[in-house]
Amino acid sequence: MNFSEKLKSGKFLITSEVGPPKGINIDKSLDEAELLKEKVDGFNVTDLQSSVMRLGSLAVCHLLAKRGLEPIFQIICRDRNRLALQSDLLSAYVLGIRNVLILTGDHPVLGDHPEAKPVFDLDSVSLLKVTSGLIEGKDMKGNDLDGKPDFCLGAVVNPGADPLEPQLVKMEKKIEVGARFFQTQAVYDLKKFEEFMKKAEQFGVPILGGIVILKSSGMARYMNEKVAGVSVPEKYIKMMAEAKKGERAKVGIQIGAELIRDMKDLCQGVHIMPLGWERYVPELLKASGLD
Amino acid sequence: MAEMSLIDYTKFRLKPNGEVREIFKGVNRIHILSCGKCYQKFEEENEEEYTQLLKILGKEYKKIAGYTKIDFLCNNFLSKKKILSSDLSNCDSVGVISCGLGVQFVAKLLERKPVYTLADSVPQSGNSTSEVGYHGISLEKEKCAGCNQCYLNLTGGICPITDCPKSLSNGPCGGAKNGKCEVNPELDCAWVKIYERFKKQGKKLTLESVQIRDYSKPSLELKSDLSLQNQTLRGEGFYGGLYPLEKKEETKDKKIENFPEPKTAVIFLSQHTGERAKPLVKSGDKVKVGQKIGEADGFISSPIHSSISGKVISIETRVHPVSGRKDLAIVIENDGENKFDPSIQPYNDFENLSKEDLLKIIREKGIVGLGGAMFPTHVKLSPPKRIDTLIVNGCECEPYLNSDNRMMIEYPKEIFVGIRIVQKILGVKEVLVGVEDNKPEAIKSLSNFLDKSSLVEIVSLKTKYPQGAEKTLIKRILGREVPERGLPLDVGVVVLNAGTIFAIYQAVVKGVPLLQRVITVSGENLTRSGNYWIKIGTPFKDIIECCLNKGGGERFLEEYELKMGGPMMGISQESLDSSVIKGTTGLIILRKSLVKVSEERDCIKCGRCVEVCPVQLYPLYYGFYGKKGDLEKAISYNVESCIECGCCESICSSKISLLSFIKKEKEYACSSNKA
Amino acid sequence: MLAVQIKPEEEILPKISGKKLFIFVCLGCQEVYFPREDVERFINNLREEIVGKALLDYLCNREFVGEYVKGYSKQIERANVILVFSCGVGVQVVSSLLEDRVVYTGCDTLYLNGFQGLTSQEFNCNQCGECYLNYTGGICPITNCPKSLLDGACGGAKNGKCEVDPEADCAWILIYKKLEKIGKLDILKKILSPRDHSKIITESLSREEIER
Ligand code: SF4
Ligand code: SF4
Ligand code: SF4
Ligand code: SF4
Ligand code: SF4
Repeated sequence: MNFSEKLKSGKFLITSEVGPPKGINIDKSLDEAELLKEKVDGFNVTDLQSSVMRLGSLAVCHLLAKRGLEPIFQIICRDRNRLALQSDLLSAYVLGIRNVLILTGDHPVLGDHPEAKPVFDLDSVSLLKVTSGLIEGKDMKGNDLDGKPDFCLGAVVNPGADPLEPQLVKMEKKIEVGARFFQTQAVYDLKKFEEFMKKAEQFGVPILGGIVILKSSGMARYMNEKVAGVSVPEKYIKMMAEAKKGERAKVGIQIGAELIRDMKDLCQGVHIMPLGWERYVPELLKASGLD
Repeated sequence: MAEMSLIDYTKFRLKPNGEVREIFKGVNRIHILSCGKCYQKFEEENEEEYTQLLKILGKEYKKIAGYTKIDFLCNNFLSKKKILSSDLSNCDSVGVISCGLGVQFVAKLLERKPVYTLADSVPQSGNSTSEVGYHGISLEKEKCAGCNQCYLNLTGGICPITDCPKSLSNGPCGGAKNGKCEVNPELDCAWVKIYERFKKQGKKLTLESVQIRDYSKPSLELKSDLSLQNQTLRGEGFYGGLYPLEKKEETKDKKIENFPEPKTAVIFLSQHTGERAKPLVKSGDKVKVGQKIGEADGFISSPIHSSISGKVISIETRVHPVSGRKDLAIVIENDGENKFDPSIQPYNDFENLSKEDLLKIIREKGIVGLGGAMFPTHVKLSPPKRIDTLIVNGCECEPYLNSDNRMMIEYPKEIFVGIRIVQKILGVKEVLVGVEDNKPEAIKSLSNFLDKSSLVEIVSLKTKYPQGAEKTLIKRILGREVPERGLPLDVGVVVLNAGTIFAIYQAVVKGVPLLQRVITVSGENLTRSGNYWIKIGTPFKDIIECCLNKGGGERFLEEYELKMGGPMMGISQESLDSSVIKGTTGLIILRKSLVKVSEERDCIKCGRCVEVCPVQLYPLYYGFYGKKGDLEKAISYNVESCIECGCCESICSSKISLLSFIKKEKEYACSSNKA
Repeated sequence: MLAVQIKPEEEILPKISGKKLFIFVCLGCQEVYFPREDVERFINNLREEIVGKALLDYLCNREFVGEYVKGYSKQIERANVILVFSCGVGVQVVSSLLEDRVVYTGCDTLYLNGFQGLTSQEFNCNQCGECYLNYTGGICPITNCPKSLLDGACGGAKNGKCEVDPEADCAWILIYKKLEKIGKLDILKKILSPRDHSKIITESLSREEIER
């Protein structure tokens, strides 16, 4: 079963992430991913995440596909105009990529090349629409394509956003123009997530809750302060703060596993964002009983 | 006044020190041009950037060969004159402190000299997909990037293009934290604002359809068309000026009718520029129509005649319609007999009268300029310099007014006779009749009587205010520039109003002094608007009574604004006891607006007043220094040259009552000149 | 300066159909840029009930609009939709003053060259925040070259005309000629790109507000 079929099957899905390196040494990442081959249903490959220049998502997706893994190609609107975006989507298809996650993207001033000119010619909604068009065999201007690509399209939503309403409106919009699954921002506050799920249920589209393994109490506090829609409950911060240096990963995993176990009944899957801790993903899955 | 903040939209700042020093390494003698800045609250005249430049330069400042500050450097027309008149001979390059517009303009103007910019522009848009942002003609925080596909209807009136750094038009990116933008936490997230705005309206945020911005909008063609259209309109004929709503339809087709004679006439002794006339009658005297009742006092003065027959009931002070102050008037009670003074005799042989005789008649019959200025015509017709051209002013550029228009339509023959008389007096062959192209009928009617052999030419002029002002008209028709503080005769021209020409005809051919004139009564809600022959001295109250259904009751001046003249140059009336004088071109009656905005506000250096001043002044200083009470300083900006056309005040984006400051300053200048 | 165009009917009519309207019309930029007659015609052709109409200049001035909102409060109260004819700035100011009311615009706004100066003119400036004119003989490469090239012509010019807009002169040919004229061709050796686009964000945010 490929990712798209699994989505339809109603199985509880697990996706993880591969962050391409800044450079060309990619083997380690690929090897780490391969370890998860049987445990994970798909691998998101981030596209110049946080506006930091790195190896491209398209190439890495292709390499994953070559190794028989299921890549989810993340594509953002910051760096390409509508011509390049459409073209890269076609390229992705011929390189064996079948899943695409469409995002707007961070602004360059937040990354390591703040001087860059942001493009934002399209945004996530319009790009989803355009991609759906490609699947139908038409480019954005209605010109016929010679052969149609077929993608399983995904998008993101931030369940902790405040106010939440605009997110829901936009989510609905995304579904309307072709999104077939959603991955969310990191979830720590299950109550809030549950509320979100109650509202999102009506859309009938699989939602994969986001999981980020806490690395320290500092990280938790930082996220609470800076990252949109993230609120790590005090009890977790305390757990992390009390953990000894060598044990932090273990505690982080423990928290992650707890969240995943609780999420099982709430949503249709989880999306794990290891942020450099790829090596701990197998352990996390084991601890949460998803292994 | 509401709590407000004015955002400083200054468009440039000095380049970083290192860069400035680097530029100076490459030059030996440099002239600095510095723009006075725009779109910031006008707080003081400062030369901040220049001072800072000197500081950065240290000893290198010696390389500066000269320095000129120019207000609104990008005003190509005015700045060109200023730059070309400053001495640039001893410098090898020019440094400009302004935004990119000023620099490019200077670089093009001084093509052969290296021009350096010492400043960088300051971005306005705050958003990366549209580099340029516009803040309207105000200093509010709302901006517009001119996307030409306005999204405001989908976003509760909050602009997603300028307010969201990613210009997202399909909803938030999801990065906002505590309602703050992820790109710059000082900003509120545009989409959270939009969401909240909708909530306040009891509506839900719905994204109606997927928005995809069309970057090919607006087309280059449209932009260049509009831009060109705008530039041509601006520069049409003469520098400055405006295109106010014309509002002439109401009375333009109404034939001139006789207005009922007043029961009591209030005839002011000052109906002309110069000394007030001396009364020749006293209370109780009987007077006849056309009888001289006031004698000219000196050369620049003019006699006054009774417009009705009856009894002088008093000589007392009344509110003068021009000065607004009490002034001497002869009040005459009409006996209804309409007896004419024996002095009224047609000059059958006027063709054979000498130039001197003609001038004497014109003086004796009390002819003054009827366009509003009331300058004694005999003085104008005795110029100390050679005149080669007579211009007959049929522009009537003031909105609402049609008195000259109707005269030209109804009395073309008489006007041509009048022209011949003036030709003889001045000894000029060439006569140009300037009529604005919004009066096609007048042009047609005059053309019908045009004598092919004469050198009279009718010039149809594109409508623009204040075309009828002498200096602008001369510039427009002949291309001649009357010098600053100069008169038309300095360039060999005399300008006479079409109505004045008719009055000359009346005086010389019929022997009738200036007893009545054509006045347009127009405005809002009038039952009898029209063009009327109205006797001099007819109280305004009579006219309002007749033309406004409910008449001029007690509360008239509370509800209505009464202007003598047109809406631009006309004078607001405070008393209905004032009466028609020789310079009354019209009476405009307008309902007072529901809303009154105060007229004292800070200047924001939008430069609009400078752009419209036909005399090429910098009116912002009149308001600025007028408010400060520093009249000397205002005078140093040449306030005496102002023709009080009102363009600056009418366009002022801060609604500063510039004219009232100007009048005060001119008066002050006048009195200090005398002293 | 901005130019204002009336929106296509099919875009605006459905939004206001059957609603009671209060209309604001700005006369501020009327001088040349405002389609006064089109707006009058549009309003006269409306079938909707118009409960009030205010004409004023400088709709972008919050203080003025504030006075009008007070003066016309009764009519505004009765309206379901406040329809504004002005540039985008005016609409935003009105809608910020009538936050709880539905405010629609009847116009699209575009800008003309040199619009951020005081009048529309042949020069334009995109406010890039790092002026390049010292390297280009005072001819702006950002606004005159459709590709905003900083290091010389793209090579597409034909007979001195730009390949993107054949009506326009190739900016880089003009720059070359100008530098030749002032004997500064060596400046062309300097590499100017890339631009720092972050200035648009960072600098335009650092404006101070002066309290009135
Ligand atoms: S609101 Fe717009 S159209 Fe009206 S005066 Fe201001 S800038 Fe001009
Ligand atoms: S959406 Fe409206 S206000 Fe915003 S840039 Fe476009 S025209 Fe201007
Ligand atoms: S009133 Fe005076 S200063 Fe103002 S525009 Fe007219 S001539 Fe210029
Ligand atoms: S028009 Fe008014 S606000 Fe603008 S510069 Fe002149 S005086 Fe100042
Ligand atoms: S727009 Fe004109 S007045 Fe304003 S800074 Fe630039 S050159 Fe000076």
